[in-house]
Amino acid sequence: MLSEERRVEQQSALTEPAAARLAAPDVRDEFGLETIDMSMGPQHPAMHGLLRLILELDGETVVRCDPVMGYLHRCQEKIAENRMYPAVIPLTDRLDYFANMHNEHGYVLAVEDLLDVEVPPRAEYIRVLMSELMRLASHIPSIGFLMLELGAFTPILYAFRERERIQTIFEAVTGARMMFHYIRIGGVKADLPPDIPQKIWDYIEGLESRFQNDFVDLIQGNEIFISRTRGVGKMTQEKAVEMGLTGPPLRCTGVDFDLRRDYPYSIYPELEFDVITDTAGDVEASYRIRIAECLQSIRLIKQCLEKMPEGAVMGDLGRRLRPKEGDGFGRVESPRGEFAVHIVSDGSDTPYRVHYRDPSFCNMQLLQEVVPGHYLPDIMPIMGLIDPVSGGWDK
Amino acid sequence: MQTVLNLLEAEPIRLFVSFGAVLFLVLNLAAILTMAERKASAYIHLRYGPNRVGPRGLLQPAADVVKLFTKENVMPGRSDMWVFLGAPIAMFIPAALVWMVIPFSPDAVVANLNVGILFFVAITSIGALGVVMAGYGSRSTFSLLGALRGAAQIISYEVPLILSLLGVIMLTGSLSLVEVVNAQGSTFWTWYFLPQLPMFLTFYIAGLAEVKRVPFDLPEGESEIVGGFMVEYSGMTWALIQAAEFASMGLMSAINVTLFLGGWQPPLPFLDFGPFNWVWFGLKTALIMFTFQWIRWSLPRLRMDQLMDLGWKVLVPMTLVWLFVTAGAMLVIPGN
Repeated sequence: MLSEERRVEQQSALTEPAAARLAAPDVRDEFGLETIDMSMGPQHPAMHGLLRLILELDGETVVRCDPVMGYLHRCQEKIAENRMYPAVIPLTDRLDYFANMHNEHGYVLAVEDLLDVEVPPRAEYIRVLMSELMRLASHIPSIGFLMLELGAFTPILYAFRERERIQTIFEAVTGARMMFHYIRIGGVKADLPPDIPQKIWDYIEGLESRFQNDFVDLIQGNEIFISRTRGVGKMTQEKAVEMGLTGPPLRCTGVDFDLRRDYPYSIYPELEFDVITDTAGDVEASYRIRIAECLQSIRLIKQCLEKMPEGAVMGDLGRRLRPKEGDGFGRVESPRGEFAVHIVSDGSDTPYRVHYRDPSFCNMQLLQEVVPGHYLPDIMPIMGLIDPVSGGWDK
Repeated sequence: MQTVLNLLEAEPIRLFVSFGAVLFLVLNLAAILTMAERKASAYIHLRYGPNRVGPRGLLQPAADVVKLFTKENVMPGRSDMWVFLGAPIAMFIPAALVWMVIPFSPDAVVANLNVGILFFVAITSIGALGVVMAGYGSRSTFSLLGALRGAAQIISYEVPLILSLLGVIMLTGSLSLVEVVNAQGSTFWTWYFLPQLPMFLTFYIAGLAEVKRVPFDLPEGESEIVGGFMVEYSGMTWALIQAAEFASMGLMSAINVTLFLGGWQPPLPFLDFGPFNWVWFGLKTALIMFTFQWIRWSLPRLRMDQLMDLGWKVLVPMTLVWLFVTAGAMLVIPGN
């Protein structure tokens, strides 16, 4: 570890804006220097899915970074127009495949907004329980991905070990490991199997005891980790709000915004949790936020298990859903930010139009704004700050 | 029989045969190290690692070699063929050549040069050429960036690497590696790693950078430039690059052991095995190589500017200071 003086010195050296490293174009002209263009992706082992970055490089410094999306486009919104309301849920699973429960939840909230259906309290608790488990299963690997992008291979395997155990729980509850189709309009598909609450409890207790050791102590104090992430991808609050960021990239700049508290849905008002913010606004801050949010999720899961009421898990719905004409809107706090669904109904049994607002897509514009001026190897930690998922930005 | 022995005594043939033996050792070392690397990483990751081919997966390297031999060698279009194909050779030959001057045991050294250390410094410098050739010949932006990083890194870290050798040369008064080992004695507290601790650490770190291992594997940088200078290689050319990397990693460990950890000398006098002292050399080299692997699977990668900062602002001043400390100590303490 560095001494405190050296750390302050290093920090001040790093807080000069990355854009200051950019040589002005006329300087390049004067010395006859040229930039090189480089196409990174769409087939790139470290890219989060199929993303192509068109880079203009001045040596190792990135001058321009243009993300090109669309390599995984599957016409999700158009297909949804031809399907009956309940049949869209399995499609939403394929959106952000690291936050399937949140996608289902967001869509179902939008349909319930159209229908005015009463959801039984037990179903609400199960929904939140599953969403928070899903958040753990997304945040923990994203920490691993960040380390993988920095060149450390080991944390990703520790992270996937935890994800695997959560997926085993999902498999026992929903029957599927990733594409659940579990949260339904009016409730959830089935009640929890009788032994599952105890299993979740045991797992969460175990995770709590391992968490500090595996994901904090091994990573947080590492000098190389700090020098690679501190001050990298730095952005101001105004910039973050201007770009419409949500989720950890927004909260790491200090904006105190979390849909679970500010626009509460489901049973979140009844549960106690803190919204984590950080002021640094760089990659290290986003890592710290994800770590702290994992602990908050553990808290929420415990409360859900303790307070879980008895009763039905499915509300009273007709056989064929024909919502009234109008708009339905649902938004949830997915691990990556705000996932919102807007449905327009024309009174038939299929939606007239479905629109998904996916956090991966919206947070992606950070790349164009923040990356210029950083070095080429900094792109990957900045991707780790956004933690986008291919299925999310290409719908 | 006597004629055959006489023939072997003749210097050119002895050199030829023993260099063949060393080359055999180096190639096998590469295979053993890939296996060790995969197993060590597996245990660090809490996995099993390769365990299908042969008993406990020990024949995996053989299977790998068969696979690499039978694989098509893909050449990128518009690449410079001779440079492209020459690069793996230009990387492998220096890595294998320096093994000639390493004393495995008091008698087992291919060429007991009286300028062994100089030979090591001179030949390892050529390694950068292979990296640049690979990057230039591939005609790919990724490779070019990797090669530029590699050249900058290898040349920059040669400075602290060579400076850290000077303390040992001053203490020994000789450039011969055999002399260096003899001077260290057969007790572990007289080995040079204690009086030359900063130099030992510098040599270790600079050695890591020279052989392009994590946390200094920027020329490969698999998360941004995929494989760097070797991104376009496949099949046997790739295997040769890998063999060169592992051979130079083994070499760096062996030189480290020879200069600072007493070479073939046993740690305590009663553990002297006479002609079998190469066991000590092997054990110590294996230990250093294991720490290389341990570091590889534990640490993230540095960035280019941070790498240069570490080299020029930390390692070079440290070695220079310790050079003066050593010189002063040699003046003050009599008998040294």
